[in-house]
Amino acid sequence: LREAGLSSIAAVREAVGRCAKAAVPADDEASLFDSGVIDSFALMELVSSLEESLGVRVPDSDLTPRKFESIARIAAYFDSHK
Amino acid sequence: VTFLDGLAHALPERVLDNAALAAEFGVEPEWILEASGIRERRVVSPGESVTTLAERAARASLAAAGLEPHQLGAIVCGTGTPPRQFPGLSADVQAALGAGGIPAFDIHLASVGGLFALAVATDLCARHGPVLIVAAEEMSTVMARGPRVKETAILFGDGAGACVVRPGEGPLSVVDLSLGSDGANAAALCMDHGGALQMDGRTVILQANRKLRAAITTLLERHNLKSSDVGLWLFHQANLNLLRQVGGALGIDPARVFVNLDRYGNTSSASLLIAMSEARAQGRLRAGERAVLAAFGSGLSWGAILLDVRA
Repeated sequence: LREAGLSSIAAVREAVGRCAKAAVPADDEASLFDSGVIDSFALMELVSSLEESLGVRVPDSDLTPRKFESIARIAAYFDSHK
Repeated sequence: VTFLDGLAHALPERVLDNAALAAEFGVEPEWILEASGIRERRVVSPGESVTTLAERAARASLAAAGLEPHQLGAIVCGTGTPPRQFPGLSADVQAALGAGGIPAFDIHLASVGGLFALAVATDLCARHGPVLIVAAEEMSTVMARGPRVKETAILFGDGAGACVVRPGEGPLSVVDLSLGSDGANAAALCMDHGGALQMDGRTVILQANRKLRAAITTLLERHNLKSSDVGLWLFHQANLNLLRQVGGALGIDPARVFVNLDRYGNTSSASLLIAMSEARAQGRLRAGERAVLAAFGSGLSWGAILLDVRA
């Protein structure tokens, strides 16, 4: 997960900040769900926002919360699908 | 060519408001409203059940359609809370109506069961004649099973909706429909025999959002329509936040989205038919306009139906 590009991490962190329901954790590996930062509805907003800004379409089969649980995981996902 | 007739519904008298649930789960009533859009829901009292609600809605539907039970060609029930493993709720409805001899069966897809029943009936009625659709739920009994989780306990209510799908031209014509299912994600919304409802809310919301949008877009594109060409949107009343999110993504005017979940909660398969019945009674299905029905539920399954309102 640490291999995610810095630019992706920054982009994801910014997008998470726009959708966040609570303070965004400093740790990129921290769960966004456990800390209440991203709820079910914000998660969809976040994915849609990143699809647009990063130009990557997330297929329905990849729409599972586990892939989007932390800033690092999200960045890794989008990096690997560019 | 088919049309919908005899829109009707039946609800328990007893009201369960947010205050009681908030006290149980140690949250503020406003949290429930914000999380779901629900202010109160109806729940059965002793002597009421999914069967009695279904029978009431069925009789009201036949009366509104001006049909006698012997004129029916089939009965299809949608429910996720049948009175027993088998036979389904349809057997109770058929027996209560005295409409023996015609095919009667259930569609066991919980929240999307009403919409799938409508879809199946549009094909069935060409062969069998008028098809009575009843979607009914006794969610309060399911939710009483432990462990109770606030994320689901706040959502659901009891109720029943019904209509008749008839062959020919009529005031609410079925133009087209789109259905789909994805068993790969079925575990995200399931209930074992006698068990509690299990819902992975994040997966359900992600999939519902995407699949509802796709089903609706497919349907509209087939008929060269834009979302602004639809006069009324009738969604499964799952959660107000989901309705707003899907509506926003499709560019739907919120004033054209029918909402009654604030009063009844999520009544699963029944919600779409209850919403249709209320919308009709309130004059919100206007002649010359189009309406779209859309629902998402277990399976995971989803669908949308395009209607022409002719009268």
